[in-house]
Amino acid sequence: MKTVFLVDDSATILLSISGILAKAGYATEKAASGEEALRKLQGGMKIDLLITDLNMPGMNGIDLIKEVRKLPAYKFVPILFLTTESQQSRKMEAKAAGASGWIVKPATADELLNTIKLVVR
Amino acid sequence: MDEITSVYIQESREQLAEMESCLLGLEQNPDDPDNINAIFRAAHTIKGGAGVIECHFIEAFTHRVENVLDALRNGALTVTPTLTTLLLGCCDHMVSLIEVLAAGEAGPAGELQAQGEVLSAQVQGFLDGMAGGEPAAASELTVADREPAVEVENAGGIVLNDSWHVSVRFGENVMRGGMDPLSFIYYLASLGEILNIATITDAIPVAAEMDPESCYLGFEIQLQTRSSKADIERVFDFVRDECELRILPPNSRLSEYLKHIQELPEDSMRLGEILVRCGALTQAELELGLSQQKLALGDDGTSAPPLGEILVDHKVVNPEVVEAAVVKQAQVSDKKAREARLVRVQADKLDQLIDLVGELVIAGASANLLAQKSRQTDLVEATSVLSRLVENIRDAALQLRMVQIGDTFNRFQRVVRDVSKELGKEIELHISGAETELDKTVVEKIGDPLMHLVRNSLDHGIEPTALRLERGKPACGRVSLNAYHDSGSIVIEVADDGGGLNKEKIAAKAVERGLIQPGEILSEHEVVNLIFEPGFSTVDKVSNLSGRGVGMDVVRRNIQALRGTVDVASVDGQGATFTIRLPLTLAIIDGFLVGVNKAAYVIPLDTVVECIELKNLQSDRNFMNLRGEALPFIRLRELFEIPGNVPSRESIVVVQFAGQRAGIVVDQLMGEFQTVIKPLGAMFRHLRGIGGSTILGSGDVALILDVAALVQSVTQSELQRFSERGQSAPAMLSNNPFSQH
Repeated sequence: MKTVFLVDDSATILLSISGILAKAGYATEKAASGEEALRKLQGGMKIDLLITDLNMPGMNGIDLIKEVRKLPAYKFVPILFLTTESQQSRKMEAKAAGASGWIVKPATADELLNTIKLVVR
Repeated sequence: MDEITSVYIQESREQLAEMESCLLGLEQNPDDPDNINAIFRAAHTIKGGAGVIECHFIEAFTHRVENVLDALRNGALTVTPTLTTLLLGCCDHMVSLIEVLAAGEAGPAGELQAQGEVLSAQVQGFLDGMAGGEPAAASELTVADREPAVEVENAGGIVLNDSWHVSVRFGENVMRGGMDPLSFIYYLASLGEILNIATITDAIPVAAEMDPESCYLGFEIQLQTRSSKADIERVFDFVRDECELRILPPNSRLSEYLKHIQELPEDSMRLGEILVRCGALTQAELELGLSQQKLALGDDGTSAPPLGEILVDHKVVNPEVVEAAVVKQAQVSDKKAREARLVRVQADKLDQLIDLVGELVIAGASANLLAQKSRQTDLVEATSVLSRLVENIRDAALQLRMVQIGDTFNRFQRVVRDVSKELGKEIELHISGAETELDKTVVEKIGDPLMHLVRNSLDHGIEPTALRLERGKPACGRVSLNAYHDSGSIVIEVADDGGGLNKEKIAAKAVERGLIQPGEILSEHEVVNLIFEPGFSTVDKVSNLSGRGVGMDVVRRNIQALRGTVDVASVDGQGATFTIRLPLTLAIIDGFLVGVNKAAYVIPLDTVVECIELKNLQSDRNFMNLRGEALPFIRLRELFEIPGNVPSRESIVVVQFAGQRAGIVVDQLMGEFQTVIKPLGAMFRHLRGIGGSTILGSGDVALILDVAALVQSVTQSELQRFSERGQSAPAMLSNNPFSQH
């Protein structure tokens, strides 16, 4: 079973995405902030995909991505970020930080799962 | 209501509270980017959540608000008092909308709907008035949040019998971005059937120069699918910026160019032009091609520039943006870091834990008692270590339920702002001791009395501006809220720098209402505290908490219900200070244990004044002479109809509550006792005179007396008997205020 690690400061988003993923047969791990996520990863959690929000208080998604990419174990793990801002600059910034791709909120369950299928084999 | 919705509602309420406090901060610091970002983020989270739970009325309204905030964030709009007021109005409206959702209604009705439309129109007005605003910021929801699929009709169309040709050269960083090149191929296969695939390995350098983390591969793929070009393109969306991707529709004419591509993999610019002319190119590809063309011209067309330069040229990675992000990160205060370490726990679970810890304390006490009886030194030692640990656990468990009073205080920023505008006064609120902690159950109940006191200070305490200036005070009045710990209780002060209470007026009114006798001499302190007496105000309704100078006794009653006290001190011309003193927790009580026959009762220790022997009763009236003062008393034996003979020696515990004294007659005095309060079950709710129960170390149940109710009823029944003088006094039992009804 593939494990997807969700990071979002919004409990609503965490709950909804993990619900969709659970139905589709993914295991999920959750963190409510960048700091918490990083701590868990530094602890060596095994994941197949990281999905993070960009806009979070404290450590934002872009900083999280940068930090995660510094950890050898997660150098090649796919990272998707959640965004509603279709502005290219945020996407490019996140990509430059090491993100693999993005999911545009609000996404339907199909859009979400299709995107995940693209990055997690 | 499903789980997600209820989580959303709770989250949104928190976000809105945060948003409101940030909006209030906006007036003081209009240029603080952190603050504006926090407001934007709150709105953004609420909108995002609304989209998830498909609550469109919240989503649509919040989106409009978000547009204004975005403009504010970008500097396209500036903070003005009008805008702040509008945004606060919007914030309130969102609170109402969340309540609509919480009530399970399909959408806002009537007045609320109209209010929303008015606000939306005002918001739109701001956006329309914005000079040179970014059109994207003000775009409608569907446009802003969903990228339209770019689909270009090409000359040949989709011929079902034929196949697409996909040519891709991955950028070196694809794997570093966490993407496996193979996953694209697998995904393409899910769109249709891959007829043929060729791996292009030409770019792989000699082993010594090869970086194993870089990707040097390319693929030529024959794909048969019913999907559109946009669908195929979307597969490569995430790597589009670093990849050379060409998709040729099933068209023989284009297949001629295929050879050309393979021969000239680097010359994408010319290829782009050709493909556009052919009508096979999408707009996104065209833009990429154009930007590369511009760049190539700038560089004298010599070499292909690295990705980074392209990005900068596109102005998508802007140095100032990066710098601002770094500065912002540094400014993120410790508070945020602390928030990150928080764990959310349901209050019920904590209550349950505290309940269990209470049982543990009781069980521990009982074990202690048995150990001491057994006279085994080892056992006594072990149990004493255990009981010390249990006490630590109890304290730690109670600590869990402690919350900072700051959130409660911050609510008043808004109240002060609104009320001062309403009254036409200039008033600032000063908060200190916001980090002072007290029990959540106390915090929840202190809001209303505090609101009353604050409004009272705003309305009656602070003088009109003209009068203030006349008195040589600063025009801006000041109301301050302060909290601190003081020997096991928490003290909350509401102070103003207004004119102070008018003592003559209070004394006159007290005489008029019969609270004091004319000519009675009272200290200043006693006079000002008369405002808390029942009957001092003409209107006496619990619901009236608006602070119109009425119902101060209601405030005191509410605070006393929390086992607290309230007191006022006033200095003429300098202001008044209301001091509320509350226990840190409602779960534990210092009690005084008394016995009647075989039953034990606990009297809250802070109400006990003294204990005396009951003797020399001159009458059968329930009154005695205590050093020249009449002390009404009540016999627990009669009150609770306890059987058994009256012992030869009875004691009387003198209690005081709200300035009134009364005696409680008991058989035995058993000393001080700290205990955990257990609320009474639903069956006993209607009992008056009993506030709760506890279990003694011996396993016996002891009832905790509600001294407030006892004192009130004892004085009332005596008053009644006093007024009925001459008539045969009704027996205590028939007039028993505690009998079940």
